[in-house]
Amino acid sequence: MTFAVLKTDGNPQAAIRSLLGSLLSAKLVDAVLVASRTPYSALPMPTLCSDATRLEAADPLAPVAPFNAARQAASLLRHDTGRRVAAVLRPCELRALVELAKLHQCALENSLLIGIDCLGRMENSVYLETLKETPDLTTAFYQSDGYRDRVTAACRACTAFQPAAADLAIRVLGHDPAEDIGLEALTEKGRRLVSAIGVASAQPPENREAASAAALEWRRQGREALLRNAADQTGSLTKLQKYFATCLNCYNCRVACPVCYCRECVFGTDVFAHPPEVLLRRAAKRGVVKLPTDTTMFHLTRMAHMSHACVACGHCTSVCPSHIPVADVFIKVASETQALYSYEPGRDVNEPIPLLVFEEESKEKAR
Amino acid sequence: MSAYEPKIIVMVCNWCTYTAADLAGTSRLAYPANVRLVRLMCTGMIDVKYILKAFLDGADGVFIGGCHPGDCHYLNGNLKARKRVAGVRKIVEQFGFEPERLRLQWIGASEGPEFQKNMAEFVEAVKTLGPSPARDAVVL
Repeated sequence: MTFAVLKTDGNPQAAIRSLLGSLLSAKLVDAVLVASRTPYSALPMPTLCSDATRLEAADPLAPVAPFNAARQAASLLRHDTGRRVAAVLRPCELRALVELAKLHQCALENSLLIGIDCLGRMENSVYLETLKETPDLTTAFYQSDGYRDRVTAACRACTAFQPAAADLAIRVLGHDPAEDIGLEALTEKGRRLVSAIGVASAQPPENREAASAAALEWRRQGREALLRNAADQTGSLTKLQKYFATCLNCYNCRVACPVCYCRECVFGTDVFAHPPEVLLRRAAKRGVVKLPTDTTMFHLTRMAHMSHACVACGHCTSVCPSHIPVADVFIKVASETQALYSYEPGRDVNEPIPLLVFEEESKEKAR
Repeated sequence: MSAYEPKIIVMVCNWCTYTAADLAGTSRLAYPANVRLVRLMCTGMIDVKYILKAFLDGADGVFIGGCHPGDCHYLNGNLKARKRVAGVRKIVEQFGFEPERLRLQWIGASEGPEFQKNMAEFVEAVKTLGPSPARDAVVL
């Protein structure tokens, strides 16, 4: 079985809950990491569920994500516990998880990765507002293009919205989620598990390719516009600094970044906790310095450290208290870095990180 | 008004290019005084921060000199440097720094004259480029 159609009867969440529940009841996995509402808010949070009867609030298709949940998935998979964990993740979360696995932050051997076709996430506040108008947003979101302008800038520019490095994929493109959704097995592990729970094999819907192509084209244009706009706004040192002029050095972007994985970031160490003599010397040299210092240095260093692995999830923008479109410039820089190294983060867990491969003959010129 | 004299940060590895610089010195091969030499154990220990810091603090050019491929004292530090430098160059050029301001060159321990020649060439190249955009900008 590589493709199955799951009937939803107007409730795609229920279909997904039943799928995850059958994985748990059949003891094919020991726990499921999935976005669920909590009793206190409609905003779904990553939850870890090991009881098939407690999936009642799971809603992984809700167009919102308060984090890039690769972090939560990686902490669950940090080392081999002998227990099998299924994780329902967005494509950008899967890509980040694969990068974290390459960085030895987690091991994917005991995982079952379930990706979803993702048409974007809204900012938390936008989601909660939209939910007031449309209580059944999870279904309505995929039924028309009516909500696509409400998703984040990074999502509107995302051309990698279909899960790649997953065992199973939950498909919504080409489906009306009020009627059915698709389930595709992408790996042997995925196929085995799906056969074990006994889902009947079916053909993908006819308009799936057309729907994917249309979604891709709209996002490709969005991406081009984002790259062009970021280049215009940051094309010189002065412009770059204007872009980040309201940065507070809070480092929220670094905290939210799923691939900024260092336990201790150099910007949190004494290297950048300058003694007063250093600050006074800098002031004396330049006449005046802004405090805290090293704002431009921070962003450039982060680009140099992680742009090869940037998965373009946009969470850096979402958490910025100064509303700086951090992701736009990072996505632009990442596209250049990734082209330079011919590297696509999250494509394949066996693809080496470019900075860890040293050939005597290299296409990067010495000068 | 004094003419523009570029400030050049030169990061060299202890085993090859620093030795070449030393050889240039003992051989009385003069090279431009624009050069500020920083000796490191290996170009492989150059964190991208060092290069970015030099540029943001107003260096007009950054030159990195390491061992020829295959000659690295630590086997592959120079190859690591090459990967990183290519990445940093790509980043700084997107923000208005000419890519030519960052040069990586392999200069072996015995190549004193080669060191002299490279310094003269690089200083000349950076003079032609003019002052770095960071010189007059307020760097936050």
